[in-house]
Amino acid sequence: MPWKNQGGGPWGSGPKGPWGTGPQPVGPRPPDLEDLLRRGQDRLQQIMPGGYFSGIGITLILLIVVALWLLSGFFRVQSEEQGVVLRFGKHVRTVDPGLNYHLPYPIETVLLPKALRVSTISIGMTLIDDPARRGRSIRDVPEESLMLTGDENIVDVDFTVLWRIKPNGVGNFLFNIQNPEGTVKAVAESAMREVIGRSDIQPILTGARTQTETTVQDLMQKTLDGYGAGIQITQVQMQKVDPPAQVIDAFRDVQAARANLEQLSNEAQTYANKVVPEARGRAAKIQQDAEGYKEQAVAEAKGQSARFLKVYEEYKKAPDVTRERIYLETMERVLGGSDKLIYDGGPSGQGVVPYLPLSELSTKKPPTTGQLPSGGTR
Amino acid sequence: MRSPVTGIVALLAALLVVIVGYMSLFTVQQTEQTIVLQFGAPVDVVTDPGLHFKAPWNSVINIDKRILDLENPSQEVIASDQKRLVVDAFARYRIKDALRFYQSVGSIQAANLQLTSLLNAALRRVLGEVNFITVVRDEREKLMGRIREQLDREAGGYGIEVVDVRIRRADLPEQNSQAVYDRMKSERQREAAEFRAQGGQKAQEIRSKADRDVTVIIAEANSQAEQTRGIGDAERNRLFAEAYGKDADFFAFYRSMTAYESGLKPNDTRFLLRPDSDFFRYFGNPSGKTAAETPAKP
Repeated sequence: MPWKNQGGGPWGSGPKGPWGTGPQPVGPRPPDLEDLLRRGQDRLQQIMPGGYFSGIGITLILLIVVALWLLSGFFRVQSEEQGVVLRFGKHVRTVDPGLNYHLPYPIETVLLPKALRVSTISIGMTLIDDPARRGRSIRDVPEESLMLTGDENIVDVDFTVLWRIKPNGVGNFLFNIQNPEGTVKAVAESAMREVIGRSDIQPILTGARTQTETTVQDLMQKTLDGYGAGIQITQVQMQKVDPPAQVIDAFRDVQAARANLEQLSNEAQTYANKVVPEARGRAAKIQQDAEGYKEQAVAEAKGQSARFLKVYEEYKKAPDVTRERIYLETMERVLGGSDKLIYDGGPSGQGVVPYLPLSELSTKKPPTTGQLPSGGTR
Repeated sequence: MRSPVTGIVALLAALLVVIVGYMSLFTVQQTEQTIVLQFGAPVDVVTDPGLHFKAPWNSVINIDKRILDLENPSQEVIASDQKRLVVDAFARYRIKDALRFYQSVGSIQAANLQLTSLLNAALRRVLGEVNFITVVRDEREKLMGRIREQLDREAGGYGIEVVDVRIRRADLPEQNSQAVYDRMKSERQREAAEFRAQGGQKAQEIRSKADRDVTVIIAEANSQAEQTRGIGDAERNRLFAEAYGKDADFFAFYRSMTAYESGLKPNDTRFLLRPDSDFFRYFGNPSGKTAAETPAKP
């Protein structure tokens, strides 16, 4: 519409739009709007050829309205969305992200669920905004998280369920269940309690975490498929699996006791590792001492017998003289350094009872110098 | 067409056609089913979504056909072994027969009210027949199935199909929970005490074993040592016997001499000698001949 841009051009101001072009051939100058309308009404009443022109205008308007109406059928589907097109309320097709077209309202309408996004539901805890800590903090919801185990204990379980709409299930998701999110949560709670209820507390707390997760996931999936919910459970994550707060100290004490057990036996092992090698050392010493004794004894015996034999060899050459000599030399050495009393008791040895002050003699200790070399007999 | 009257008539006629047309059409949403009423009397139920025709004077009522929620508040149920349970169940149902539903209950709210009381009754009935542990552990799924069947049968009269009943929570009441906590605590304490005792026992075992090993090692070493000493002594005896056996008489003399010398130490020995002893043989008698020759001994 180029004349619109030429405000003040030969045909006057443009805001009349295409309407204004209708009566243009009538006069050299375009009449103003009131005038045009009045004349249009006049001509309609008089059934003049001007009515014909007016009919064209209406048709044009209608065409433009129809065109705009048809154009309103274009819509954009964001990358995480899917477009679900309804014709008079009936689900007719599902379209992928990008620019798409549906027949304009009221024939067709489109719903744009975020079908590709993974949603999260937390059970046993809620995330709350905490302005004091500038972020979100987790608040426990005990009525959701405390559950009975098969051996009549209670555990505190917080878990998270990740779910998304099934690839071909967006129709089911939208049209089959009233409250998808609430249903996922209710089913999750029910499934978790069922699984926990079948198990004893000890495996839940220790080893069976992954197994519990997959069992819950399978059970949830089965239930939701039974509803035709069009929901896929992508993951069940157990966040916290603890004994309840009231008894957690007792459980920790068991851990401590277990550690104590280890510690005590380690200490004892340390003691054993110290004492036994020491004993081996002592045993080795005892044996070495014995060996030493043995060798000493043998060596001494060898030495002494060798000495004896040497002496004996000499003795054999001159027995009497040698014997006498040895005797005298020995007596010399033995008596040499000792106190001696020579008492002549007479040939009969009777008559006078000698007085021997033995006590006095024994107290008197004369310092003697002549030390005898031991075993100095030759 | 050239008269203004005909133009107006035509316009009105067109308007009438549009209005009548509009009144003869209705849409059924994907999530709904529609009852067509002719002056209040139901004439048709449309479950197929899309655009449909009806007589212009008929009216329509839309009824949800999705799976609907029924949340049941917690109930205290007594199991057959007189244990109390707080049971929180939910049901999922669907309006199967829209007409019957509309006639018997009318709205979803009213239906929820009815179903809640039916569900509670079914819960109490089914769970009251079994004991506590069956509910919690053994047959939860089977029991839920039975509750669903009963509820479904009873709700059938309302045009309702019960898709599922699930026990969400089956817990002990607060005061019983406390007892469970106490029991858990005492069980853990017992376990801890057991571990500690085991620790003491194990340590004691290790220590005693070590002590025993020490005793055995030393005893074996001593035994070995005595044998070694014995071998040494035997060798010594053999050597002495071999040497001294050559002349027993000289050995006695020689050994005596050695013994005198080492046995009678100079500083702690006093001799009381008789002059007529053999040692003094020459002591006044250079010839050295005496009648009695006796060696002097203290």
